[in-house]
Amino acid sequence: MIDPNDLLFLLQGVPATLAISFLSFGIGFALGIPIAVARQMSPSLSYLMEAYEKAFRGIPVLVFMLLFYFGLGGFVPFLKDPFTCAVVALGLRSGAFQSQIFRGAINSVDKQQMMAALSLGMTKTEAFRYVILPQAFIVALPGLGSEISLLIKDSSYAFILGVLELTKHADILRKASRSFVFPYLMAAVLYILMTFPIANYLDKWGSRLKTKYGLR
Amino acid sequence: MEVLACKGLRKVYGDLEVLKGIDFSINKGETKVIIGPSGSGKSTFLRIMGLLEPPTEGKVFFEGKDVYGENLNLNMIRAKIGFVFQDPSLFRHLTALENVKLGLKVVLKMSDEEATKKAMETLKLVRMDEWADYYPAQLSGGQQQRVGIARALAMDPDIILFDEPTASLDIELTWEVIDVMKDLARRGITMLVVTHEIGFAKEVADEIVLMDSGRIVESGPPEQMLKSPKTERAREFLGRLLGGV
Repeated sequence: MIDPNDLLFLLQGVPATLAISFLSFGIGFALGIPIAVARQMSPSLSYLMEAYEKAFRGIPVLVFMLLFYFGLGGFVPFLKDPFTCAVVALGLRSGAFQSQIFRGAINSVDKQQMMAALSLGMTKTEAFRYVILPQAFIVALPGLGSEISLLIKDSSYAFILGVLELTKHADILRKASRSFVFPYLMAAVLYILMTFPIANYLDKWGSRLKTKYGLR
Repeated sequence: MEVLACKGLRKVYGDLEVLKGIDFSINKGETKVIIGPSGSGKSTFLRIMGLLEPPTEGKVFFEGKDVYGENLNLNMIRAKIGFVFQDPSLFRHLTALENVKLGLKVVLKMSDEEATKKAMETLKLVRMDEWADYYPAQLSGGQQQRVGIARALAMDPDIILFDEPTASLDIELTWEVIDVMKDLARRGITMLVVTHEIGFAKEVADEIVLMDSGRIVESGPPEQMLKSPKTERAREFLGRLLGGV
């Protein structure tokens, strides 16, 4: 039934898929937290951040990838590298998504926690760093789980730019074999095997910590 | 020496004037108790004195310095004013010990070792040292509140403000918190307390202050306030509070 060689060939696409997903998640994380905090602390910055969030929420990430690759690529040489271009586009979108996840999580932390931190003489930044964000992070875990799944799935857009990730491998296999469906079905199973456990794990981890600390 | 004072304090939220001109001061070593019906502005007053909220009008003085007028560093002064909240507001992701240590490390820049030592000593004072490694969610309301007191006390503040620290506790838990507070008052800690625990006021307060509708109606030593208040409003409120007349 399943030719082990076909499966091995498909598996070769998995590292690139995971690399794109986790690197873009990292970029999104590094962008999302400061943006969420900045939106809380400075209303004047808010408009700029909101515009960024709206753009990446409202426009398909594939369009951004193509814009970056064919448009900006002429001016920004590293965007001419398909892998980098895919990571940057997905990372920027993830920043927009993660900033919303963290904003919701920060808002869910009891307002009195900030008051209590300030009453000890902490600056607002210290209060965020030591009191608000650690609690917000726990609340955000399930959302971050969905975000990673989304990135693993959407990393398949990199296929368009020719990145040798999982979907591209499936496509190559389809062309090389006589089966039109099987390579994609196997890829589908591999995607599920990556997305589901991660999302599930972060969800469980989040609920466990929430119970432990009595967070809402 | 005057620790905390205010002059002509007003606070307006939208159309609502919560504080209508308050003059107040408290000296080092004193314990003052604020009483008054709900909605009288007690909590707002306390938050403004704790520099957790700016007044709409009027001045707040910390050790003689005009806090908002001289543009002082609010964080540095807040570190010297302890605040105990009605809902203890412990940091929920930290153990009792870590709750007390956080301010010592982040604000007072103590080493971990120093902070642990100081925090354990303070937890012992409020009889919570045996619960040091428990998370707030695992503690009773009274225990949480005692950790809240330890968290404020460990900073060695010049004054501690208490905002109805027992209002959400049942009677036995109230006693354990009140006992700790009496202890602090006897140790000479300067305290400004919003509470209706009149026994506490009777035993340790130097002055009882009655607030109503955003004003201080009357203030005086407990014996005088409880036995022969001067104003009709004080007679009426205290009469009800003491459950008679």
